[in-house]
Formats: sequence, C-alpha cells, structure tokens
Amino acid sequence: MKARALFILSFMLFAFVIQAQDYLKLQFNYANDLFKAEQYYDAITEYKRLLLFDSTNTYRYQAEYKIGESYKGGAKYDDAIKYFSHAEKDAQGKDEIFAAKTQVIRSNILRRTTDRALQLLDELEKDSTFRGEIDTIYYWRGWAYMFADNWKSAARAFATINPSHPLKLLADQTDRAKVSVTFAKVISYILPGAGSIYTGKILSGLMSLAWNAAAGYWTINAFTSNRIFDGFVVGELVWFRFYRGSIQNAEEFAVQKNIDIANKSLRYLQNEYKGIKP
Amino acid sequence: MKLSAAHKNGSLQIAVLLIFLMPILNFAQTSYNNSGLFSPVNRLKFGNYLFADKDYLRASAEFKEYLKSFDDDTVRFNYSLCLFNIGKYEEASDNFKTLFYGNPFTEKARLYFYESYFFGKDYKELRDLADNQNYKSVLYSKGIERLKNISYLMDDSRLPEMNSFLSVFDDSVQSRIAKFYYQKKNPKHKNPVTAAIFSAIIPGSGKIYTGEIGDGITAFITTALSAYLAYSNFKADHNFRGWLFTGLTAFFYSGNVYGSAASAQIYNARIRFNFDKEVKIYFGERNYFLPKSDY
Repeated sequence: MKARALFILSFMLFAFVIQAQDYLKLQFNYANDLFKAEQYYDAITEYKRLLLFDSTNTYRYQAEYKIGESYKGGAKYDDAIKYFSHAEKDAQGKDEIFAAKTQVIRSNILRRTTDRALQLLDELEKDSTFRGEIDTIYYWRGWAYMFADNWKSAARAFATINPSHPLKLLADQTDRAKVSVTFAKVISYILPGAGSIYTGKILSGLMSLAWNAAAGYWTINAFTSNRIFDGFVVGELVWFRFYRGSIQNAEEFAVQKNIDIANKSLRYLQNEYKGIKP
Repeated sequence: MKLSAAHKNGSLQIAVLLIFLMPILNFAQTSYNNSGLFSPVNRLKFGNYLFADKDYLRASAEFKEYLKSFDDDTVRFNYSLCLFNIGKYEEASDNFKTLFYGNPFTEKARLYFYESYFFGKDYKELRDLADNQNYKSVLYSKGIERLKNISYLMDDSRLPEMNSFLSVFDDSVQSRIAKFYYQKKNPKHKNPVTAAIFSAIIPGSGKIYTGEIGDGITAFITTALSAYLAYSNFKADHNFRGWLFTGLTAFFYSGNVYGSAASAQIYNARIRFNFDKEVKIYFGERNYFLPKSDY
C-alpha cells in the first residue's frame, strides 16, 4: 500500500514538472506563431514573458535571438543589436555564437553603420574558431559594401566566394553602369552641356549648349560694338550664369544617375533576389 | 470470477485513495492554471519586470490586465506612470485622479496629475486647475506653481505680474528667469509694415532693418543698376531695352518691398522659435524644477 501511495505521489510530482516544462514550450510556440505572423510587437512581449518565467534558462538563447529578430523586423536596429548581443552571451556552442554574431553584423548593415559591420566582420575573420565560415563572412562583407554604395568592393568580396556568384555579377554590373561625376564636370568646363549629354540628359545638354552659344554671341557682340558696359552685364549676368549652370547640372545629373542605378540594384535585391538577405 | 477478501480490500483502498486524490489533482490543476504565465499575479510580476526595464508600453498593458482582476493603488500608480511615460497624458491624468484620496500616493498623484497637463501642453487647463486650487497638493504646491508659471512662457497667454511670477523660483535662478519674462513680454519684433515702407523709400533698407544686411545691399545695387540701365538705354534711344530694364526694375523694386515685409515676419518667427528653444533647454536641463522621480 505504501509503495502504491509513493508511486502515485511520485507520478503527481513528475506530472507537475512535465506540465511546467510544457507551459514554457507552449509559451515559446505561441511567441513563435506571433513571430511567423509578423506581429513583432506581440512576439517580443511573449518572448520577454518567456524570458522572465524560464527559470531554468531552457529557452533563453532562442528567446533573446527571436526578440532580436523581431526588433530587426520592425526596423528597431539598436534594440535588435542589444538582444542579439545578449543571445551571443547566452549562446551554447560555436554555431549559436556565430549565428548571433552575424545577426549583429546584419543589423549593422541595415542600420547603415557600415564601418562597424566591417570591423565586426574583420574580427570574425581573424577568429580561428570560425575558419569554416569564411564564405559567410565574405557574403556579409559584400552586402555591407553594397549598402554603403561601394559596388566595386562588394564585387571583390563576392568573387572571393565564387567568381561567378550572382551578387558579384550584379555588383559588377552596377559599378559599370555608374557614371563619373568628375568626368561629367570636366567635360562641361570644356564644352557646356557635354556633361549633361554624357549622363543621358541629351535635351537638357543641347539646350544648355544653345543658351551658352547665344549668351556668348550677345556678350562678344556687345564688346565688338563698343558697348563695354552691356558686354560686362550680359557676360556676367547671362553667359556666366549659363556656363556655371551647365557645370552644376552635369554634376547633379551624374549624382542622381548614380543614385538611380544603385537604387535599381537595391530594389532588385529587395524584391527579386532569392538568397539570404540582411 | 470471485475476488479474494485481500484483493477486495486492496481495491477498496485504491478507490478510497483515488477519491481523496481527485480533489487534490483538481486543486493542483486549478492552482496550476492560476499560477500560469497569464494569471493576474504573473501579469503583475511581468509588468513590474517591464517597468523596471523602462518598457512602459508593454508594462502598461500588463498592469491594465491585472487591474481588471484586482484594484491595487500601487499598481494603479505604476500604470498611470507608464501612461505618463509613453505620452498618453490624458489617460495618465485620469488615472492619477483616481488616486487623489485615501492612499499613500495622494500627493505624488496630484503632482503627476498637473505634470500630465503640462507635458500634454494643455497649459490653459493646468493654469485653471492650479488657480482654482483644485486638487491642491500640500507637499508639491510650490512645484505645481512653478509649472504653472513656466507654462506662461510656453504659449501666447498674458503674463502675470512679475513679482508673483518670480516668487516661486529660487533666488539663484530668478535673474535668468526674469530675462525670459522680459523677452516674452517685450519681444524684439520687427514690424513688417515698417520694413515694407523702408524698402519703398530706399530699396533694400527694409531688409537691412530686419538684419539682412547683405541682402539689403544686394537689393539696392540690383534695383539701382537695373534702373540706370533703363535710363541709359532710353537716353541712347534703345527703347526696347529701355522698357525691358524698366520692367525689370519694377520687378526688383516690388519684389524687394514684399521681400522686406516677409523678412520681418521671418525675423519675428525666428525670435519666437529661438525663445521657445531657449526656454525648453533651460527648464528641460533643470527638469522644470520638479522633484526627482524615485521610480
């Protein structure tokens, strides 16, 4: 009889422990469901609740990691980095540490703190523990450069993984499509409007050339007709204005064209690229 | 099949044990549910954890749920503080109001009640409540008076008499606050009509009056040069160019008159903007002379 009673009591105690474990698991699954439904605010709340009541720290790393991901999903990169750093401290094993570290880097890429992302990548590369992860390190280095609008360096980073890596080809293509702002300005000094034509703004370039030609004619005509004062006024207020305007236009068009090219590539990465993204 | 007496006895014992265990198991289940993560007690625990972590938005939601089950002054006060900290001042003041009588938070709740109006920028209501001595605080009456007086510097209301305005502030800061008082009472504004008249008489002078000296000189030179070109072209019988420059002169002249009036308005807006900024920085750095929060 005693043995039976002892058995029943032990069973009850066991059931209690299992039930408590189940409770945490249920909570973790509930938070995960919210995360999957992209309800990041609620997901963070439930992961935080789990963190508080998980006295055995069974879900600590996963909850912190997921909180980081939720904050990242909501574009709160400072908070994301804070929780990924917590996850890194509570990580068990190399893989978990690497996952948390790369998430910190990815958040830095998205936050556009490129220098910090590159610094962390350098540290990761130097760490012999992660020697087997060199491709991943170069992959994120490439992304960091792309977000910093440095497509040439991005292409170099992706080429280290694979010379025909799709992102290497994209970075190369973007870099080649870009125009030189200095060249656009210099040719506009020599021939007004040429810089605009070089950046693809043909009509604007031709108009600029025509206005400069006309204003130049009026200025020279005034001087040759001994209307020195008129010559100075037209030269200063009209010709010089058009001449300077053509150089400024060339610079603005070149900068804008480069922004458009970079944005087109970034849009492709955001909407069509199937690989892993920051 | 017949059961032996001993077997019968054993089965009976198990049945009795189970009958006793059923309520225990039931109790265990009930207590387990009550101590689940979403029980009021655990919601309070979680709320306090979030509150300490300064995650006031989430903490407010947990406190709110707890208050549905239990009415507790401490939780109500912390809930109100959460609302206050996330900028829900109207809700915060309503909740602080429920703590005005018969609890240890009476005095603090009254101070935060007035603070809610102040930081919610409802300055008029704050002054009305303070003037009518509604919900008077014994401990924080001076702090509330200071808030009320600072609020006069924040909006376009009429300033009170200077001595009563300054009396609530410490002697050490009175001279600086007196400067704010004078700046507010007699702002160094420029009259847009005067600026326009100045520029109508001498082009550019209205701009110089509003402090835009470079613009004023440029406007004067441009208008004068354009007028001279009109005159010289008419004199040389270049009538087309004469009219062209006359039109240009009229354009520069009228543009400058209008521009001078606009410049005076911009000047006044800048004065107001800088004053507001200075007031906010000065009082903000000193936490509006409010007592230090202990939460």
